Amino acid sequence: MSDAAQAVAPKGLFDRSTAGTTTPPVTVAVERDRIRFLSKVLGIADLAHHDVAAARAAGYPDLLAPPSFPMVVEAMANDERARRGQPDLLTLLRCDFRRLLHGGETYTYHGQIFAGDEVELVTEIRGFQDKKGGALEIADVGLRITHRERGLLVSAERTLIHRLA
Amino acid sequence: MSQDTAIPNIVFGPISRTTLALYAGASGDHNPAHIDIDFAREAGLPDVFAHGMLSFGVLARVVTEWAGQGAVRQFSVRFASITQVRDTINCSARVVEPVEFEGAPCLRVAVEAKAQDGRTTLVGEAIVDVR
Repeated sequence: MSDAAQAVAPKGLFDRSTAGTTTPPVTVAVERDRIRFLSKVLGIADLAHHDVAAARAAGYPDLLAPPSFPMVVEAMANDERARRGQPDLLTLLRCDFRRLLHGGETYTYHGQIFAGDEVELVTEIRGFQDKKGGALEIADVGLRITHRERGLLVSAERTLIHRLA
Repeated sequence: MSQDTAIPNIVFGPISRTTLALYAGASGDHNPAHIDIDFAREAGLPDVFAHGMLSFGVLARVVTEWAGQGAVRQFSVRFASITQVRDTINCSARVVEPVEFEGAPCLRVAVEAKAQDGRTTLVGEAIVDVR
Protein backbone atom coordinates (compact mmCIF):
# COMPACT_ATOMS: atom_id res chain seq x y z
CA MET A 1 0.00 0.00 0.00
CA SER A 2 1.35 3.46 -0.91
CA ASP A 3 1.77 6.18 1.70
CA ALA A 4 -1.07 8.14 0.11
CA ALA A 5 -3.42 5.15 0.28
CA GLN A 6 -2.43 4.51 3.88
CA ALA A 7 -3.20 8.10 4.78
CA VAL A 8 -6.85 7.75 3.69
CA ALA A 9 -7.32 4.13 4.77
CA PRO A 10 -9.60 3.54 7.78
CA LYS A 11 -7.79 2.74 10.98
CA GLY A 12 -9.49 -0.64 11.25
CA LEU A 13 -7.71 -3.91 11.89
CA PHE A 14 -9.72 -6.27 9.67
CA ASP A 15 -8.12 -7.10 6.34
CA ARG A 16 -10.62 -5.25 4.17
CA SER A 17 -9.10 -6.57 0.96
CA THR A 18 -10.97 -9.81 1.79
CA ALA A 19 -14.40 -8.22 1.07
CA GLY A 20 -16.23 -10.41 -1.41
CA THR A 21 -14.08 -13.47 -0.66
CA THR A 22 -15.77 -16.86 -0.56
CA THR A 23 -13.75 -19.61 1.09
CA PRO A 24 -13.24 -22.94 -0.70
CA PRO A 25 -15.96 -25.42 0.38
CA VAL A 26 -15.01 -27.70 3.27
CA THR A 27 -16.83 -30.94 4.03
CA VAL A 28 -17.02 -32.19 7.61
CA ALA A 29 -18.48 -35.31 9.20
CA VAL A 30 -21.00 -34.68 11.99
CA GLU A 31 -20.20 -36.98 14.90
CA ARG A 32 -22.60 -38.08 17.61
CA ASP A 33 -20.32 -37.05 20.44
CA ARG A 34 -20.01 -33.47 19.13
CA ILE A 35 -23.81 -33.20 19.24
CA ARG A 36 -23.94 -34.80 22.70
CA PHE A 37 -21.20 -32.58 24.13
CA LEU A 38 -22.71 -29.32 22.90
CA SER A 39 -26.20 -30.39 24.00
CA LYS A 40 -24.95 -31.32 27.47
CA VAL A 41 -23.18 -27.99 28.03
CA LEU A 42 -26.28 -26.08 26.90
CA GLY A 43 -28.45 -28.07 29.29
CA ILE A 44 -30.57 -29.65 26.56
CA ALA A 45 -32.51 -32.52 28.10
CA ASP A 46 -34.34 -33.80 24.99
CA LEU A 47 -32.99 -37.29 24.42
CA ALA A 48 -33.17 -36.83 20.63
CA HIS A 49 -29.84 -34.98 21.04
CA HIS A 50 -28.24 -37.66 23.23
CA ASP A 51 -29.67 -41.13 22.65
CA VAL A 52 -29.81 -42.74 19.20
CA ALA A 53 -32.80 -44.96 19.99
CA ALA A 54 -34.73 -41.96 21.34
CA ALA A 55 -33.82 -39.92 18.26
CA ARG A 56 -35.08 -42.69 15.97
CA ALA A 57 -38.24 -43.11 18.03
CA ALA A 58 -38.85 -39.38 17.47
CA GLY A 59 -38.61 -39.95 13.72
CA TYR A 60 -35.06 -38.72 13.15
CA PRO A 61 -32.41 -40.78 11.32
CA ASP A 62 -29.86 -40.19 14.11
CA LEU A 63 -29.02 -37.66 16.85
CA LEU A 64 -30.44 -34.20 16.12
CA ALA A 65 -28.00 -31.27 16.19
CA PRO A 66 -29.23 -28.24 18.19
CA PRO A 67 -29.79 -24.82 16.52
CA SER A 68 -26.36 -23.45 17.50
CA PHE A 69 -24.53 -26.47 16.03
CA PRO A 70 -23.44 -24.52 12.90
CA MET A 71 -20.73 -22.99 15.13
CA VAL A 72 -19.36 -26.48 15.64
CA VAL A 73 -19.46 -27.15 11.90
CA GLU A 74 -17.48 -23.99 11.38
CA ALA A 75 -14.93 -24.98 14.03
CA MET A 76 -14.54 -28.41 12.45
CA ALA A 77 -14.18 -26.79 9.03
CA ASN A 78 -11.48 -24.50 10.45
CA ASP A 79 -9.57 -27.55 11.70
CA GLU A 80 -9.84 -29.09 8.24
CA ARG A 81 -8.67 -25.83 6.64
CA ALA A 82 -5.66 -25.84 8.96
CA ARG A 83 -4.84 -29.40 7.85
CA ARG A 84 -5.00 -28.24 4.22
CA GLY A 85 -2.82 -25.24 4.96
CA GLN A 86 -5.70 -22.82 4.27
CA PRO A 87 -6.48 -19.91 6.58
CA ASP A 88 -9.68 -19.97 8.64
CA LEU A 89 -12.17 -17.12 8.64
CA LEU A 90 -10.76 -15.33 11.68
CA THR A 91 -7.24 -15.51 10.27
CA LEU A 92 -8.41 -14.28 6.85
CA LEU A 93 -10.17 -11.36 8.50
CA ARG A 94 -7.07 -10.76 10.66
CA CYS A 95 -9.23 -10.76 13.81
CA ASP A 96 -7.61 -9.48 16.97
CA PHE A 97 -8.99 -11.61 19.81
CA ARG A 98 -8.16 -8.85 22.29
CA ARG A 99 -10.74 -6.61 20.61
CA LEU A 100 -13.20 -9.07 19.08
CA LEU A 101 -16.92 -9.21 19.88
CA HIS A 102 -19.92 -10.75 18.15
CA GLY A 103 -22.44 -8.20 16.95
CA GLY A 104 -25.32 -10.35 15.83
CA GLU A 105 -26.13 -13.74 14.42
CA THR A 106 -29.08 -14.72 12.23
CA TYR A 107 -29.56 -18.39 11.38
CA THR A 108 -32.18 -19.52 8.90
CA TYR A 109 -33.01 -23.22 9.07
CA HIS A 110 -33.99 -24.96 5.85
CA GLY A 111 -33.40 -28.47 7.19
CA GLN A 112 -31.91 -30.28 10.17
CA ILE A 113 -28.37 -31.54 10.74
CA PHE A 114 -28.03 -35.10 12.04
CA ALA A 115 -25.18 -37.24 13.34
CA GLY A 116 -23.69 -39.19 10.45
CA ASP A 117 -24.23 -36.34 7.99
CA GLU A 118 -21.42 -35.08 5.84
CA VAL A 119 -22.09 -31.38 5.39
CA GLU A 120 -20.35 -28.74 3.32
CA LEU A 121 -19.59 -25.29 4.67
CA VAL A 122 -18.95 -22.21 2.58
CA THR A 123 -18.09 -18.91 4.25
CA GLU A 124 -18.41 -15.54 2.54
CA ILE A 125 -16.91 -12.24 3.68
CA ARG A 126 -19.52 -9.73 2.52
CA GLY A 127 -18.01 -6.42 3.58
CA PHE A 128 -17.05 -4.00 6.30
CA GLN A 129 -18.62 -1.04 8.07
CA ASP A 130 -17.44 1.58 10.55
CA LYS A 131 -19.74 2.60 13.40
CA LYS A 132 -19.73 5.02 16.30
CA GLY A 133 -17.29 7.41 14.66
CA GLY A 134 -14.76 4.68 14.03
CA ALA A 135 -14.88 3.27 17.58
CA LEU A 136 -16.23 0.01 16.14
CA GLU A 137 -15.45 -1.74 12.91
CA ILE A 138 -17.77 -4.45 11.72
CA ALA A 139 -17.26 -7.40 9.39
CA ASP A 140 -20.36 -8.89 7.73
CA VAL A 141 -19.96 -12.61 7.16
CA GLY A 142 -22.27 -15.22 5.68
CA LEU A 143 -22.22 -18.97 5.82
CA ARG A 144 -24.09 -21.79 4.15
CA ILE A 145 -24.22 -25.40 5.23
CA THR A 146 -25.43 -27.88 2.63
CA HIS A 147 -25.95 -31.64 2.35
CA ARG A 148 -25.39 -33.48 -0.92
CA GLU A 149 -28.90 -34.97 -1.07
CA ARG A 150 -30.93 -32.71 1.22
CA GLY A 151 -29.58 -29.42 -0.14
CA LEU A 152 -29.26 -26.23 1.87
CA LEU A 153 -29.69 -26.89 5.61
CA VAL A 154 -28.63 -23.65 7.25
CA SER A 155 -27.75 -20.18 6.06
CA ALA A 156 -26.43 -17.56 8.44
CA GLU A 157 -25.45 -13.95 8.61
CA ARG A 158 -23.04 -12.87 11.30
CA THR A 159 -21.31 -9.69 12.30
CA LEU A 160 -17.93 -9.61 13.98
CA ILE A 161 -16.81 -6.46 15.74
CA HIS A 162 -13.46 -4.99 16.65
CA ARG A 163 -13.52 -2.52 19.51
CA LEU A 164 -11.06 0.14 18.36
CA ALA A 165 -11.54 2.77 21.03
CA MET B 1 -48.12 -23.03 18.15
CA SER B 2 -50.95 -20.68 18.96
CA GLN B 3 -50.45 -17.04 19.57
CA ASP B 4 -51.60 -17.03 23.20
CA THR B 5 -49.42 -19.84 24.52
CA ALA B 6 -47.31 -18.69 27.46
CA ILE B 7 -43.69 -19.65 26.84
CA PRO B 8 -41.74 -20.98 29.85
CA ASN B 9 -38.48 -19.16 30.52
CA ILE B 10 -35.13 -20.80 31.29
CA VAL B 11 -32.75 -19.62 34.00
CA PHE B 12 -29.12 -20.57 33.26
CA GLY B 13 -26.20 -20.09 35.59
CA PRO B 14 -24.37 -18.84 37.48
CA ILE B 15 -22.05 -19.20 34.49
CA SER B 16 -18.79 -20.51 35.91
CA ARG B 17 -15.31 -20.73 34.44
CA THR B 18 -15.94 -24.46 34.17
CA THR B 19 -18.99 -23.78 31.97
CA LEU B 20 -16.86 -21.55 29.73
CA ALA B 21 -14.10 -24.14 29.48
CA LEU B 22 -16.61 -26.84 28.60
CA TYR B 23 -18.37 -24.60 26.08
CA ALA B 24 -15.02 -23.79 24.44
CA GLY B 25 -14.37 -27.51 24.04
CA ALA B 26 -17.91 -28.38 22.96
CA SER B 27 -18.29 -25.55 20.44
CA GLY B 28 -14.72 -25.50 19.14
CA ASP B 29 -14.55 -21.75 19.83
CA HIS B 30 -11.16 -21.54 21.51
CA ASN B 31 -10.90 -17.74 21.65
CA PRO B 32 -8.71 -17.27 24.76
CA ALA B 33 -10.72 -14.18 25.83
CA HIS B 34 -13.30 -16.68 27.15
CA ILE B 35 -11.04 -19.13 28.96
CA ASP B 36 -7.66 -17.64 29.78
CA ILE B 37 -7.62 -14.89 32.42
CA ASP B 38 -3.95 -14.11 31.70
CA PHE B 39 -4.85 -13.37 28.09
CA ALA B 40 -7.87 -11.29 29.14
CA ARG B 41 -5.79 -9.16 31.52
CA GLU B 42 -3.07 -8.60 28.94
CA ALA B 43 -5.83 -7.39 26.59
CA GLY B 44 -6.93 -4.88 29.23
CA LEU B 45 -10.10 -6.75 30.20
CA PRO B 46 -11.00 -7.25 33.86
CA ASP B 47 -11.70 -10.96 33.36
CA VAL B 48 -12.71 -13.56 30.81
CA PHE B 49 -16.29 -13.25 29.56
CA ALA B 50 -18.87 -15.70 28.29
CA HIS B 51 -19.13 -16.78 24.66
CA GLY B 52 -22.07 -15.03 23.01
CA MET B 53 -23.07 -18.26 21.33
CA LEU B 54 -23.39 -20.00 24.71
CA SER B 55 -26.25 -17.63 25.52
CA PHE B 56 -27.60 -18.01 21.98
CA GLY B 57 -27.76 -21.77 22.53
CA VAL B 58 -29.64 -21.46 25.82
CA LEU B 59 -31.98 -18.77 24.45
CA ALA B 60 -32.76 -20.99 21.46
CA ARG B 61 -33.79 -23.72 23.94
CA VAL B 62 -36.63 -21.50 25.16
CA VAL B 63 -38.10 -21.60 21.67
CA THR B 64 -37.28 -25.20 20.72
CA GLU B 65 -38.58 -26.61 24.02
CA TRP B 66 -41.84 -24.72 23.49
CA ALA B 67 -42.41 -25.09 19.74
CA GLY B 68 -40.23 -28.07 18.80
CA GLN B 69 -36.99 -27.60 16.88
CA GLY B 70 -38.59 -28.51 13.56
CA ALA B 71 -40.92 -25.50 13.81
CA VAL B 72 -38.10 -22.94 14.07
CA ARG B 73 -37.47 -21.25 10.70
CA GLN B 74 -35.13 -18.52 11.83
CA PHE B 75 -33.37 -17.43 15.00
CA SER B 76 -31.72 -14.06 15.18
CA VAL B 77 -29.96 -12.29 18.04
CA ARG B 78 -28.00 -9.16 18.72
CA PHE B 79 -25.43 -9.27 21.50
CA ALA B 80 -26.45 -6.24 23.54
CA SER B 81 -23.93 -6.48 26.37
CA ILE B 82 -21.20 -8.79 27.58
CA THR B 83 -22.17 -11.77 29.72
CA GLN B 84 -19.71 -11.92 32.60
CA VAL B 85 -18.44 -14.85 34.64
CA ARG B 86 -20.91 -15.63 37.47
CA ASP B 87 -23.83 -14.01 35.63
CA THR B 88 -27.11 -15.91 35.75
CA ILE B 89 -29.16 -15.29 32.64
CA ASN B 90 -32.94 -15.38 32.45
CA CYS B 91 -33.93 -16.39 28.92
CA SER B 92 -37.47 -15.57 27.88
CA ALA B 93 -39.68 -15.40 24.81
CA ARG B 94 -43.08 -14.03 23.94
CA VAL B 95 -45.21 -14.20 20.82
CA VAL B 96 -45.41 -10.81 19.10
CA GLU B 97 -47.51 -11.30 15.97
CA PRO B 98 -48.39 -13.59 13.12
CA VAL B 99 -46.14 -13.15 10.09
CA GLU B 100 -45.67 -14.80 6.73
CA PHE B 101 -42.22 -16.27 6.21
CA GLU B 102 -41.18 -17.81 2.88
CA GLY B 103 -44.88 -18.14 2.06
CA ALA B 104 -45.81 -20.01 5.25
CA PRO B 105 -47.93 -18.78 8.17
CA CYS B 106 -45.60 -18.21 11.12
CA LEU B 107 -45.31 -16.38 14.41
CA ARG B 108 -42.75 -13.75 15.25
CA VAL B 109 -41.45 -14.43 18.74
CA ALA B 110 -39.36 -11.89 20.64
CA VAL B 111 -36.51 -13.42 22.65
CA GLU B 112 -34.34 -11.89 25.32
CA ALA B 113 -31.66 -12.84 27.82
CA LYS B 114 -31.19 -10.69 30.91
CA ALA B 115 -28.56 -10.97 33.61
CA GLN B 116 -29.49 -10.97 37.33
CA ASP B 117 -28.98 -7.18 37.57
CA GLY B 118 -31.48 -6.49 34.77
CA ARG B 119 -28.86 -5.95 32.06
CA THR B 120 -30.08 -7.18 28.66
CA THR B 121 -27.35 -9.38 27.22
CA LEU B 122 -29.05 -10.77 24.11
CA VAL B 123 -32.13 -9.56 22.29
CA GLY B 124 -33.64 -10.97 19.14
CA GLU B 125 -36.43 -12.90 17.53
CA ALA B 126 -37.45 -16.28 16.29
CA ILE B 127 -39.74 -17.13 13.38
CA VAL B 128 -41.76 -20.22 14.24
CA ASP B 129 -44.33 -22.23 12.24
CA VAL B 130 -47.96 -21.91 13.30
CA ARG B 131 -49.31 -25.36 14.02
